[in-house]
Amino acid sequence: MSYYDIDSILTDAEKIPCTFQLDVPELGYLDNQPGQTLKTGTKILLPLWIAEMLAIANTGDIDNKSFVDFDLPSALGNDVQQALKADPRAVPLRDQSAHFYALATHMMDLSDEPQLSATLRRTFVTRAAEISLHARKVGGGVGKGKGGASEEASNIGVGGAGEEFLRGLEEWERKLFRKAHDGSKAAKEWMETVKKH
Amino acid sequence: MALPLPPGLTQAEVAFVAEMELVTIVPRQRFESIHLLGGKTPALRPPHRAELPLWLALLLKKQRRANIVCPPWLYPASLATVIHRETKEDPAAFSPPPPTPSRAHLSAPGLARRVAEHDAGMSAPFVPSCTADAPAGYLPYHWLEVAEALLAHAGDDMPVAAGEIRSLLRDLVEVRAAKMRSSAATLEGLGGGLTLLRGVGSMELAESRGFVLEVVDGVRKIGASLEANRREVEEMRGEGGDDEGSDDDMGL
Repeated sequence: MSYYDIDSILTDAEKIPCTFQLDVPELGYLDNQPGQTLKTGTKILLPLWIAEMLAIANTGDIDNKSFVDFDLPSALGNDVQQALKADPRAVPLRDQSAHFYALATHMMDLSDEPQLSATLRRTFVTRAAEISLHARKVGGGVGKGKGGASEEASNIGVGGAGEEFLRGLEEWERKLFRKAHDGSKAAKEWMETVKKH
Repeated sequence: MALPLPPGLTQAEVAFVAEMELVTIVPRQRFESIHLLGGKTPALRPPHRAELPLWLALLLKKQRRANIVCPPWLYPASLATVIHRETKEDPAAFSPPPPTPSRAHLSAPGLARRVAEHDAGMSAPFVPSCTADAPAGYLPYHWLEVAEALLAHAGDDMPVAAGEIRSLLRDLVEVRAAKMRSSAATLEGLGGGLTLLRGVGSMELAESRGFVLEVVDGVRKIGASLEANRREVEEMRGEGGDDEGSDDDMGL
């Protein structure tokens, strides 16, 4: 995670639900009540970077309270987790968050979620295998001439559902797709050059 | 970050390295031995076979001064054996690399030992495995590169039509690529993190290196916090349970 890592910065901007643990004067405008005091127990969506600060920082109170309590964002909510458990490939992760895994790992750093970790791991590897399959097939123009009937057929088999799946990839998965695609593309290019000289 | 090249060799580099593989040729003309960085090449006398690096063999082939002998593993029967092994016998693993050449010594018949006549550290990628006396039924490290080069430039020296061999090679490439893909899924459970890459060729490695590295790195990042927790717990336990551990050792 470098300082200039744009993905890391964008992940920090993801909003997560927080509950204030104390009254804050003059902050009511966050809850659409300008000029009022923000009450204890108000739920507000805060960007991850500030929520993290407020949750970790100590108010200096005797009972060791922090400023806010945070929950898992809706992208990592129970229904999404259940859907991922059912079939990782059917969930368009990008709709949940463009930086789904980055957000999830950040949240897991902040709170203990062994169940979430196992689900994500399974999701990631299952989808990775699928991504690699698409990466080989997409841009079929290269393999058209020599591939023959079988390759064409498998292209059609993947086609319709494939586009939908590829649209649902989030940033990590897009990177993965690019890597896998670069690999097979380079291999195909090499095969072409062998024949030429 | 500064260097834009990905880790490992690119396909072009792999193909270049593969040109050092020795292949067997049947020369058509006399040709004196030449001094190269890798040593002297054998002098070529027409009816006798000789072993030359692939690049030189291809050069002579193009000048019609030699014919290349098809390595035994590139025969359709051998390729079919490998495909059968990959799909039917052991659908999970890649077929093993060629065995190290071994031979029984006269003094101890029945006890085969490794042959160490060329050089000491001989194992899969370094044994000359594309010559005429290479074992059939195994894919050498540079199988795809050598096969493609031979089919493209020495198609008329192959035992059957190049198209037939090529279609078998395509099958093999597809089968093995599918295995490489599904190997990603073996990272699913904790502890199932090791993918056995024995017998994978260098070109296949170059092709899927980026993907595999990225998957493993992703799994590591997802498991990082869990791992940190586990270490913490272990350390806590280690402080309390140090004595027990040493007691067990004493018991042994």
